[in-house]
Amino acid sequence: MRAATFQGKGDIDVRQMPDPAIVNPRDCIIEVTSTAICGSDLHLYDGVIPGVEKDDILGHEFMGRVVAVGKESTLEVGQRVVVPFTIFCGQCFHCSEQRYSNCDNSCPVEDQEVAEKAFGHPMAGMFGYSHLTGGFAGGQAEYVRIPYSDVVPLVVPEDIPDERLLFLSDILPTGWMAALNAEIAPGDTIAVWGCGPVGLFTILSAFQQKAGRVIAIDGVKGRLDMAEQLGAEPVNFHETDILDALKQMTGGIGPDAVIDAVGMEAHGIAIDNMADRVKQAVGIGQDRAHVLRQAIMACRKGGRVSVPGVYGGKADLFPLGAMMQKGLQLRTGQTHVRRYTAELLDLIERDVIDPSFLISHRLPLDEAATGYRNFRDQQDEWIKVVMHP
Amino acid sequence: MLYNQGHTPMPIANWARYGLAATLATAAGGVLIYRRKPGINHDAAPARSARHRRRFGDYRVTGATVTIRATPEQIRACWQGNAQLWPELEYLPFPEGNQPDLLLPPSELRDMASRPLLTRIVAEREDELVAWRSEGDGHADMHGRLRFRDNGAKGTAVEVIMAVRPHHFASAWKTEAMMAEALELGLLRDLRRLRMLIETGEIATARMRPDAA
Ligand SMILES: NC(=O)c1ccc[n+]([C@@H]2O[C@H](COP(=O)([O-])OP(=O)(O)OC[C@H]3O[C@@H](n4cnc5c(N)ncnc54)[C@H](O)[C@@H]3O)[C@@H](O)[C@H]2O)c1
Ligand SMILES: [Zn+2]
Ligand SMILES: [Zn+2]
Repeated sequence: MRAATFQGKGDIDVRQMPDPAIVNPRDCIIEVTSTAICGSDLHLYDGVIPGVEKDDILGHEFMGRVVAVGKESTLEVGQRVVVPFTIFCGQCFHCSEQRYSNCDNSCPVEDQEVAEKAFGHPMAGMFGYSHLTGGFAGGQAEYVRIPYSDVVPLVVPEDIPDERLLFLSDILPTGWMAALNAEIAPGDTIAVWGCGPVGLFTILSAFQQKAGRVIAIDGVKGRLDMAEQLGAEPVNFHETDILDALKQMTGGIGPDAVIDAVGMEAHGIAIDNMADRVKQAVGIGQDRAHVLRQAIMACRKGGRVSVPGVYGGKADLFPLGAMMQKGLQLRTGQTHVRRYTAELLDLIERDVIDPSFLISHRLPLDEAATGYRNFRDQQDEWIKVVMHP
Repeated sequence: MLYNQGHTPMPIANWARYGLAATLATAAGGVLIYRRKPGINHDAAPARSARHRRRFGDYRVTGATVTIRATPEQIRACWQGNAQLWPELEYLPFPEGNQPDLLLPPSELRDMASRPLLTRIVAEREDELVAWRSEGDGHADMHGRLRFRDNGAKGTAVEVIMAVRPHHFASAWKTEAMMAEALELGLLRDLRRLRMLIETGEIATARMRPDAA
């Protein structure tokens, strides 16, 4: 089969790889019909997440049709499914509490130790996302092996096109969980950093969850325009002192909740960010936590901090005093995708939301390298890339 | 034997070395005083968390703990009855076919002995404990036990502890510290495999095909 493979920092190549086959009884194999490039893939592409090896197949946002099933799978050949990026067993202690991205069993034991050293505990398995999360082959490919296919994939109706369903695999539930983690009370003012796909779905979710106002912060005009179309008040960090603006816009109180939908690769020429950039470049496990620092400083006293943006290392100059003295709460995590998919599918079926507005570019899988490059370097126009094998 | 070696005093050639020796002696004395200081009870550290845990005489003691959502009975049944588990194990012994009280050490452990190393179950308490020790003239002396403890709604905490004293140094076991580290890691992996098999019915793998490496 053809698959988008990692060949080194900034080097994606579509190559011929072996077809997957059933390995464990609960597996299924799907033929991919649509797959997307995620902001998280850019962290791999830029080499800031460790544990990616040459020839690893990337991609964790995908959907398709079942073409083979193991003897314990409950799916049938021909069924149409969206596949969550977090792999989970459904039976461990964490899964029993629907914290699927904390699953204890889905990452192969040999791959658990690096994450355990770095984070104190091992991570769950994920598709196409480095050996920290199991080294599973990803979905930017013609075929994918899906473990625990009796619980992981979401069977979707035939009459809704791929483009409206695909983002149930990651970014739509991620925006949804980011808003839930902000514990929005009706009428609240929420500030969202980052108007990439995750930020935009966070804004959409915040309004669905009854936010009164959403202030959207980014430095890319095209993306701020999309945020405005969703009803948010755009603020460009290149032109604005963000802390000042947020105070003024909220009558001196600050946003009730702040959401960091940017993560470890923040842009901007702030001093802390430039220092982080140097440290990240020399590979000492430093995250560029500029946005998180700013969000914590901006948040109102007693407010909530929600962090869907991905971090993988350590952060200097973390405003711990502000967290403590203002009595903030912080919630974060890889998304427990499958916990939210039924609810979100319902919103899509009832036409309350149509996530396909995000898609700016459609490419054949063979042009994955172009997709990655432009999604990173031309953010004004390349909002979301969907590929078809 | 390396792990029993005392200090061989180095010939002392000059005052600088006396100075160094004095510094080391003071430091060592300090450690002793710290250790003996009333009020610090090293045995009070929970489970295997004491800082000097790894050495008990000539034995190296290591272990691992996981919680499994199953009863002790189900856990024992899988460990002693599910042949799918056994080839995956690194250090946790598993039952020898038709002699129920014999346990076979997995290949990693067998490597450290040039003769087969049989372990025999020496104590069993239903739902609580299984203990074993090696027998005969193998090239290692080994004691181990598996203990089950109720961990509330989270399931059963399963702890394995192994104490190993090699008789001769087998080539695969470079140093005592490496041995202890490998054992500890391997036992944790083994318990995690056991948990996977019990909770999910399979052992997680990222392989794309059954025949892939
Ligand atoms: N928690 C999860 O499970 C999960 C899932 C998917 C994605 N993510 C993470 O969410 C983050 C966003 O993903 P995405 O797909 O939208 O990525 P993206 O790269 O397309 O978007 C990031 C946006 O942040 C903006 N930005 C950069 N620096 C900024 C700053 N200083 N202030 C304000 N905005 C700034 C960029 O201009 C860009 O528009 C990434 O870190 C990604 O890894 C997390
Ligand atoms: Zn993603
Ligand atoms: Zn699980």
